[in-house]
Amino acid sequence: MKPHLTPEQFVDLAEGVQPESSLPHLATCEACRRQLAGTRALVSDVRAVDVPEPSPLFWDHLSSRVHDAVSEERLRPRSWRERLLQPRVLVPSLAGAMAVALVAVLLPRAPVTSAMPPMPLPPLAPLGAADDPQLSIVAAYGTTLDWDQMRDEVALASAGGSGDAVAAALTVNEQRELQRLLAEEMAQPGALENRS
Amino acid sequence: MAASLVWALPVAVVSAREIPVTDLDEQQLVEACLAGRAGAFDLVVERHRRAVYQLCYRFVGNHEDASDLSQDVFLRAYRGLGRFRGGSSLATWLYRIGVNVCLNRVTAKKPVTEDIDARQHVDTERESQVDRVLREERGVRVRAAIAQLPPKQRATLVLRMYQELSHEEIAGVLGSSVGAVKANFFHALGSLKKILGSDEDLK
Repeated sequence: MKPHLTPEQFVDLAEGVQPESSLPHLATCEACRRQLAGTRALVSDVRAVDVPEPSPLFWDHLSSRVHDAVSEERLRPRSWRERLLQPRVLVPSLAGAMAVALVAVLLPRAPVTSAMPPMPLPPLAPLGAADDPQLSIVAAYGTTLDWDQMRDEVALASAGGSGDAVAAALTVNEQRELQRLLAEEMAQPGALENRS
Repeated sequence: MAASLVWALPVAVVSAREIPVTDLDEQQLVEACLAGRAGAFDLVVERHRRAVYQLCYRFVGNHEDASDLSQDVFLRAYRGLGRFRGGSSLATWLYRIGVNVCLNRVTAKKPVTEDIDARQHVDTERESQVDRVLREERGVRVRAAIAQLPPKQRATLVLRMYQELSHEEIAGVLGSSVGAVKANFFHALGSLKKILGSDEDLK
């Protein structure tokens, strides 16, 4: 005796996707025929049950609630950490910094011919993980990035110049902190080897 | 050729901005939302609120929760609109969010189904009083039975029977295979039959 119909076959038959004639077992098996008839009846009964229609005023009320919630969402101020930790901000920024650093390392260095003494850089303000432990999240995120994934995300998620636009929107202190984190990241041994 | 492309692009962008939001197609509407155009997301809500509410209602079986969940679905959609790639219709994408929101809710909270006295606002002119009462009672029982199904079976049944998604679309929403969706659908019907008693009780 042939095996009974599978759940998939019952569904296809009940929905009319498959004709009964394509399954000869059905003609000889009373149990499967009963099961199919029951399934069809149940589908028909269950489908006929509507959701109770709410009050006509409800739809505008729902729209208004959503509108208010969305407006609130738009106005909600985002901290610079939230902005910085967004992949579309952090990834292009890190990638840009990596590219600059790579170019700087790979370019042949010309001998210094200028007689002018180098300009001393202003010291960085003491802002960092020691001042705010939550900044270590950024540093930790940077160390766990997968470079292949990052390259894909940059290609998919970032619009041209978006990294620059975001960097320009940061405050001086935020830019300085980003610069420091990136420099710290670049200084780690093997940072450049990961690019290949 | 290249020059004509360069000129054609800004013209297309400008003309899309000039079209009233009500005349925008789905992808243009999403772009208008992302550009912060006034009224664009309100229109998305207006077009899909009924389907989203009904999906939520089928899951939780009562108006209050369905209303809260619908709001949550749209808020999440707004937050994630930048990730909508147009690979499926906006409705299917909203259903995906809706199913996730509802599955999170049903696993966290036992469903509170409507009272037996809940009434449907339908045209009952041609229906006798007895038939109407029987139909309403049957509706309440079936909805209560659906609310008792295991979450994946419930999702499959609701998306297939009421939102009329194909098995392939449901597989995409639930992250499973078409075969698994059909099996889930079949088992959902079996579970419903058990919960409701026999077929005769439904009649």
